[in-house]
Amino acid sequence: MAVLSTLTPEQATARRARREGRRRILRHMALLAWTGFIVFPVYWMVMTSFKDSGEWVTWPPNWFPRDPTLLNYSQIFAFAHLDASQARQATEQSFTIWKGLGDAVLVCTTASFAALLLGTFLAYSISRFNVGGKYFRHTILTIRMIPPIVIAISILMYYAIIIPYVTSALFGFRLKLFDTYIGLILIYTVTTLPFVIWMMLTFIDEVPYTLEHAARMMGAGRMTVIWKIVLPLVASGMVVTFLFVFILNWAEFLLALTLTHPEVTTLTVLLNKFQSASEGRLYGPQAAIGTMITIPVVILGMLIQNHLVKGFSFGTIRK
Amino acid sequence: MARIQIKDLVKTFGAYNAVSGINMEIKDGEFMIMVGPSGCGKTTTLNMISGLETPTSGHIIIGNTVVNDLEPGERGLGMVFQDLALFPHMTVYENIAFGLRIKKEPRAEIDRRVTAAAEALHIKSLLPKLPRQCSGGESQRVALARTIVTNPAVFLMDEPLSSLDAKLRVDMRTELKRLHERLKATFVYVTHDQAEAMTMADSIVVMSKGKIEQLGTPLAIYNAPATQFVAGFFGTPTMNFLEGIVEANGRGRRFKAPGIDQPLPDSLPTGIAGKKITLGVRSEHVLVDASAPHAGTVLITEPLGDTTLVHFEYGQGKTLVAKVPPTTTLGPGAMLNFHFAPQACHLFDAAGGARLN
Repeated sequence: MAVLSTLTPEQATARRARREGRRRILRHMALLAWTGFIVFPVYWMVMTSFKDSGEWVTWPPNWFPRDPTLLNYSQIFAFAHLDASQARQATEQSFTIWKGLGDAVLVCTTASFAALLLGTFLAYSISRFNVGGKYFRHTILTIRMIPPIVIAISILMYYAIIIPYVTSALFGFRLKLFDTYIGLILIYTVTTLPFVIWMMLTFIDEVPYTLEHAARMMGAGRMTVIWKIVLPLVASGMVVTFLFVFILNWAEFLLALTLTHPEVTTLTVLLNKFQSASEGRLYGPQAAIGTMITIPVVILGMLIQNHLVKGFSFGTIRK
Repeated sequence: MARIQIKDLVKTFGAYNAVSGINMEIKDGEFMIMVGPSGCGKTTTLNMISGLETPTSGHIIIGNTVVNDLEPGERGLGMVFQDLALFPHMTVYENIAFGLRIKKEPRAEIDRRVTAAAEALHIKSLLPKLPRQCSGGESQRVALARTIVTNPAVFLMDEPLSSLDAKLRVDMRTELKRLHERLKATFVYVTHDQAEAMTMADSIVVMSKGKIEQLGTPLAIYNAPATQFVAGFFGTPTMNFLEGIVEANGRGRRFKAPGIDQPLPDSLPTGIAGKKITLGVRSEHVLVDASAPHAGTVLITEPLGDTTLVHFEYGQGKTLVAKVPPTTTLGPGAMLNFHFAPQACHLFDAAGGARLN
């Protein structure tokens, strides 16, 4: 018989523990380094938002604000005209966050709801009736792989020139989509629809079709089946999808920049507008806005995390 | 009146013929079981009766009404699904009440009937629970209660016992049969399990490749299978099949195969002499007897308790299975002699598989 090992079982156990310990330390070091790399810009943004203008670009950098101030925040949240104490020369004609915040909430919420509603029904028909054929679901996802910059200019042409001209020639009124809420909501709905369809497909596919058959056998019509059986079972999936799409819209910059000015301003565009002729970029207020934009994303992200767990452990339906 | 007539029913999916022109009649109050291997068209047929599939051609008549164009909910049927299809987000009570709510029954009536159905199936204590809190057998009863609560004249069941473990499945068979006795409704039941079909059915439809192979009572199908397919499908272990030739001489007709020379019953039609045929014989009709003419060598034995199965080799490497009393002393390598009970031999056309005797 071959000799297995010269180690006693205790020695083997100790060796395994040593190896596992070393591996765990290496793993954590790598993860910590990566986390630092990711989190550092966020840290820097938050710190800058509490610095006065003199500290924004000093060298060597101040890791913490030497003289922490809320001036940047009181600027961006100002309701009235800035009084003398706040009106640095640089920010005389500064903007406040309120218009941008209101526009962003309105546009992102409406567009996300519209995409969710449309996308859920589209996903249902793709899942149940194979609308568009076998590979349609993949085709939909490839549509989203087109970079926004590719479509931004064409959409701008349609919004600013072609659609107003054609509608006024045909119907006698100018349909204005450029720099309007409806225009931005429309493009956000369309660009996020593929994500909604894709995500809702995975949830709707999970609902066994025999549940719908059973309900139909008991006399339920198609709409009753969707309302009473399918939607309750994919509700948590709809929450996840809504939050995901909302975050996408909330952080969108390029299309909002191209298709609006000066009326409609989302937060990302507003952030970019915070600069002055004399001082250049106003890093402090920008960092304050950046921090304010990030907070809802972080909160929604945490919510999504909980719902994702629920959403994906959802295969508990008896198959 | 819940007689179901099926006339020239066809269902094709693209180029694939799932059901190719079947005719049958299910009598009022009958327990009819459709049985066959996967893909034989039995579930498709059931789904066409239910209205979940639309026939490509042909007619389905329930009572005196052609139901082809009626919605599933308008046909007065109840269905139990293979996966039971309990609504996971509703309590057992809500599951059972669902059909009544759709029909807009008054609340008190719903309550009365749900309670009655739950009592009938001994699941009253489950009513406030969710389906995922129920065991397999309990879920089965909930699915049945949900179906009986609407008083359908016809029950359709698509392999409802297949998700249960072996012991529970046997218990539920008895229970379903008793339910059928009590309700006196028409049951149409689909399964691929021949034992389920044998034990529960008033009559059995055996299907294969979209066609009906045989329709009859369980014993008729077991004792006189119409085709070699049916013969092989029913009975455990599978019937032994031997290929050979019919020879006629002065003493009558005999079946000849390597190592086998078996007298055949007189009831055979004339004109089969010289023909290639398949002889089928069930293991209980392979008789092991020291004075018998044919010899074999035991390969393995399978003791089942009440009987023992002996797999043995004869002739040129062919194998047969015999059912012998459990007291047998045969073991691997032992020699035995055997013959077939002549009246229990089934003869099939070697080419088409049709029964000859």
